[in-house]
Amino acid sequence: MADPVKLTIDGREIHAAPGTLVIDAAKQNGIEVPAFCYYEGLTLQAACRMCLVEIEKTPKLQTACTVPVAEGMVVRTETPQVATARKYMLEFLLTNHPLDCPVCDKGGECELQDMTFRYGVGESRFTEEKVHTPEKQFSPVVFFDAPRCILCYRCVRVCDEGLGVKALGVINRGVVSEIAPNHGDHLECDECGACIDICPVGALTSGAYRYQTRPWEMTHVGTICTHCADGCKTTLGTRNDRILRGNNRDRSGVNGEFLCIKGRYGFDFYDHPERLQAPLLRVNGKLEEVSWAQALNAVAQKFNQTLADGGTFGVIGSNHTSNEENFYLQKFAREVLRTNHIDHHRTGDVVTLLDALSGKEGKLATVADLYERKAFLVLGADLALEHPLLSYQIRANYRHHQAHIYVVTPGAVREDHYSTVSLRGRDYASLRDKLKAESELVVLFDDSYKGDDVRKLVEFGESLGIPVKYIALVDYSNSRGAVDMGVAPELLPGYKPSGQPGMHYGEMRDANLGALWVVGANPLKNGAQRKAGFLVVQDMFLTETAQQADVVLPAASAYEKNGTVTNATGEVQRLKRGINTMGAKPDLEIMGFIAREMGAAAALGPWTPDAVFEQIRKNVRGYQVPLPVLMTGGAAQTMPVNGRIPVESRPDLVHSDHNGLFASGTLGRYSKVLNSVMESRLRR
Amino acid sequence: MLYNEPSPLETRVLSRRFGKPNSASIDTYLADDGYKAFLKASKMKPEEIIEEVKASNLRGRGGAGFPTGMKWSFVPRNSPKPKYIVVNADESEPGTCKDRLLMEYDPHQLIEGILIAGLSVDAHAGYIYVRGEYRYLIEILDKALAEAYQKGWLGKNIQGTGFDFELYTHTGAGAYECGEESALLESLEGKRGVPRIRPPFPAVVGAFQCPTILNNVETYCAVPAIIRDGGKAFADLGVPKAGGTKLTCLTGHINKPGVYELPLGFPVLKLIEEVGGGIRNGKKLKAFIPGGSSCPILTAAECEGATMDYDSMASRKSMLGSGGVVVMDEDTCMVKAALRIMRFYAHESCGWCIPCREGTAWLRKLLTRFHQGMGTRTDIDLIGDVSRNMLGRTFCPLGDAAALPTISIVEKFRQEFEDHLDGKPCPFEHARHMVTV
Amino acid sequence: MAEKIDILGAAGAIAKGLGVTFKEMMSPTVTENYPDEPPKFEERFRGSHILQRDENGMEKCVACFLCAAACPADCIYIEAAENTETTRISGGERYAKVYNIDYNRCIFCGYCVEACPTDAITHGHGFELASYNTSTLIKRKEDMLAPVPPGAHAPVIAAEEAAAH
Repeated sequence: MADPVKLTIDGREIHAAPGTLVIDAAKQNGIEVPAFCYYEGLTLQAACRMCLVEIEKTPKLQTACTVPVAEGMVVRTETPQVATARKYMLEFLLTNHPLDCPVCDKGGECELQDMTFRYGVGESRFTEEKVHTPEKQFSPVVFFDAPRCILCYRCVRVCDEGLGVKALGVINRGVVSEIAPNHGDHLECDECGACIDICPVGALTSGAYRYQTRPWEMTHVGTICTHCADGCKTTLGTRNDRILRGNNRDRSGVNGEFLCIKGRYGFDFYDHPERLQAPLLRVNGKLEEVSWAQALNAVAQKFNQTLADGGTFGVIGSNHTSNEENFYLQKFAREVLRTNHIDHHRTGDVVTLLDALSGKEGKLATVADLYERKAFLVLGADLALEHPLLSYQIRANYRHHQAHIYVVTPGAVREDHYSTVSLRGRDYASLRDKLKAESELVVLFDDSYKGDDVRKLVEFGESLGIPVKYIALVDYSNSRGAVDMGVAPELLPGYKPSGQPGMHYGEMRDANLGALWVVGANPLKNGAQRKAGFLVVQDMFLTETAQQADVVLPAASAYEKNGTVTNATGEVQRLKRGINTMGAKPDLEIMGFIAREMGAAAALGPWTPDAVFEQIRKNVRGYQVPLPVLMTGGAAQTMPVNGRIPVESRPDLVHSDHNGLFASGTLGRYSKVLNSVMESRLRR
Repeated sequence: MLYNEPSPLETRVLSRRFGKPNSASIDTYLADDGYKAFLKASKMKPEEIIEEVKASNLRGRGGAGFPTGMKWSFVPRNSPKPKYIVVNADESEPGTCKDRLLMEYDPHQLIEGILIAGLSVDAHAGYIYVRGEYRYLIEILDKALAEAYQKGWLGKNIQGTGFDFELYTHTGAGAYECGEESALLESLEGKRGVPRIRPPFPAVVGAFQCPTILNNVETYCAVPAIIRDGGKAFADLGVPKAGGTKLTCLTGHINKPGVYELPLGFPVLKLIEEVGGGIRNGKKLKAFIPGGSSCPILTAAECEGATMDYDSMASRKSMLGSGGVVVMDEDTCMVKAALRIMRFYAHESCGWCIPCREGTAWLRKLLTRFHQGMGTRTDIDLIGDVSRNMLGRTFCPLGDAAALPTISIVEKFRQEFEDHLDGKPCPFEHARHMVTV
Repeated sequence: MAEKIDILGAAGAIAKGLGVTFKEMMSPTVTENYPDEPPKFEERFRGSHILQRDENGMEKCVACFLCAAACPADCIYIEAAENTETTRISGGERYAKVYNIDYNRCIFCGYCVEACPTDAITHGHGFELASYNTSTLIKRKEDMLAPVPPGAHAPVIAAEEAAAH
């Protein structure tokens, strides 16, 4: 890095890297220069004229957002001239801005409100008629109130640059200029809502949140999105045990403020009318609502009886449940039910990747790596649809650092627009020379690369002679955690061999087991008939599997429990309970109660998330993550194994659902928003 | 048919072929020293061409008056990127109508000027960005281009000089803002016509992110004469700091409106009285806009001793601008004039930056109300205040262009505003000739 | 002699005292005969709240939550909902679906009234809030709403209710 530039802002000597904009240099030193249109990471706009500052030796006021620092520059941000400019700029802004703050959704967290308070005049001299246009609905989740818009173009830029969608533009000119959606009267886009979040005023409002409450009335809970495997932090705004909105304006997660439609709106499955809120027990062939005590007792009795009879158990875990639940479940299965018949739906060949990387350090890329590394090889996946955060990070990397992106996919993907090379098919080997010329590389591959393909890929990567990191893309919020925790017949937690591999997912479904215990999975979704003598299902909804169960225990969603999850890049993050839903219990608690009813609780230890996580930290390699990082909402990467995994890897079991932006397995079916946007019908 | 009879006081350099039969045809042009300057320039070194243009003291004719030679010398000669020549034919300044004549009557002079500019920076492609409302000119220009291609004055290896040049016409959609150079480039690239952040200036990062020379039609049209007769000869036509002649568009309450080519430094009163044949109906002069509606307005008293050049106008706190002279007689309501000017800018504001977008709209509403007799005494100061709040704080010069005339009208004709107060009707409503900027 | 003076003094004192009595007997009474007669209030007396309606009978409250935010006793609870084409309750985009004031907590400070941007909440003169059961002290919106002014078109609730049935 070049030598820092020395300049003076408000009489303070400041050092800043060359090329830093004055507005950033000021901010880094605690001097606020107000701005609407300037937004870190997006292109410069210089349209709001709020950041005008005095720079010595220039006659006119300059926009701090466009002027880079220079040696010896003298900047003043608090002179009467600057204060006047700000004051009257706000007066201009408010000429056509309606003063409907009491009903505006943004009231209380509105940048225009804040700025007017701080820099504005108390009264307006504008006595003419304001421009008014009626509110428009761009999509089920995006509403636009043109009079409130201050035309900072943040939404246009975030959609174009951040998301690569270009769904918003500007029509008309002058005072009647208006933000308009790409299809004239409606949007066809990712429906991610980034435009709403980035809007400094209440012009773009969320269809899900609008007029529900006011920002200060909510409790804000930062937890991890339960949909895809990218592990975005979503800050839930909750009130009275209801989730009212999701966003991440505090940028506290690996995702910064990025969220896709699922993270921002997809929480609404939690209060679907079909949500289970009482245990169901099959009485005379029909499922009937019973008390928790009755249901738990029925399960415990049957389990104990099956144990006594020497019957076989099968346990199917979930890739949505927390690490603690997965760990406890496999411990329950192996130590109490004495079975290795435990599995989950595998969505990416993590096992082979970790095995192939045996003995190497620092080979797993993090989400942050995607923004920082210099070259990427994307294999198979349509990142923008299936892993929107990873796609967003790479896109931002390309915009800010001109990263090189190599795409080898079966079909056209969004990355093609800015990739160095885009190939259709699987022939990544032909890129060898180009990749060799790179200084470093991150390889992302989906489930179309498994088993030997992964080994070959790692071999290829390691032969390039440059530092290469890998990401095995998986589907759901804790797919990676499930295999780390040993919810697999051949593996114990931390990828230790289980000795005697039990039955896998499909075998259990089709076997005549004494009892099958399904936690957060839906093995019978394709219309298969249950074979097990006794079927217990823990789920949020009466899924196809639950419909055939003997006992259905209503489970809490990820937003209703504490714990940890591990995302596709192996980063462990903490779930934080946002709300409680009456009747439902976290899976961990349900398992604990079953253990207690069976009289086996002592062997398994306490079933609080913290206590189980302590066990994980002691027993699972790589999970000795620093607790302060987790507790403060950070992400810590794990490398759960570094050595050969001496089991027969089962690439044949790896199968991704390839959920796009508007699908999310079972949860997606119960999300009203995901099903209401027209794109979900167009692209499914 | 010309739009107006030429005046004997004119110095016809750029307009010397106006009025000739078939003046737009390449044959007429070739017969009258056409393309000789290009052939001469093709034997000169690029630096020599730029030196010659610098020697001519030619300043940009679009309004800002930036020295043309200097602008050309900013183009990074060693850049690996292609370079472009772009012609700003988006003549939209109210009161200005000179470029259309230059394109209509003598398109080849423009083409030759473009070619010489191309030689000076090693550019091989050019665009003529024509105002949307001048659609009929596109046909004339396209015909001229076709002729030039056919006769080998455009295309590959022009007249054996080894110089290649491709020239295209492009039409805007009718936005004043696209006359601003960076907005013009955005529009040329197919985007919304909004200005760009500068620096970088178009000379370094212009059309399609490549170095670009961007000048007004009249500026390019002056180049052949400069090369042909030498920069000094051209410079000597004008005043010391601004060389050559300027096409002046005489409009307003004048007996003989029209486009006249006059040397820079021509006295204002002589322009009105002798070239323009005096004010209509023998009325007295009240106000004078020297170069399009964006210039601060001059009172009759200020016109005494003023000459049509950059420095004389600057000393009177106005600008020479694009040469669109508007003469207003004593029956003109200056409140209405201010309103008419503001209506134009409010309509043409692109909406990009806040002070211009909101300020022009506010002033339009305010002036409308005021002119209707519903103003209050505080409104007079408010008009000036709002204009001053725009001044110097907008993204592009459009905000200044709207603010400057308004401020000058409020300051210089305050009494007329006072006369509109207290519900009184416009005192000039009886006058038949309202200002028609 | 001393006795004489005592008697005169006593008589004088009695006369003086009774003089006050007789004087006050003639002046209008200050004491109010509450509860036999309704009490009188100063205009600015801060009694139980009234939720006002506008001249069309619409609720003035737009559920901006500013009263709840201003309340030092945290006794106001609101749930907002959006006015729709068919159901229009308030003049703004939003209305209070639930508006409760917990009079167990209310200290009648009037901050809510000050905070209200639409003059929807005001203090009335109601004060008879005493109850044997604290749960009855939580007043709902319906308990506090002002009556629909005569001649005004009532909010379009009927349409929605009809649709619901």
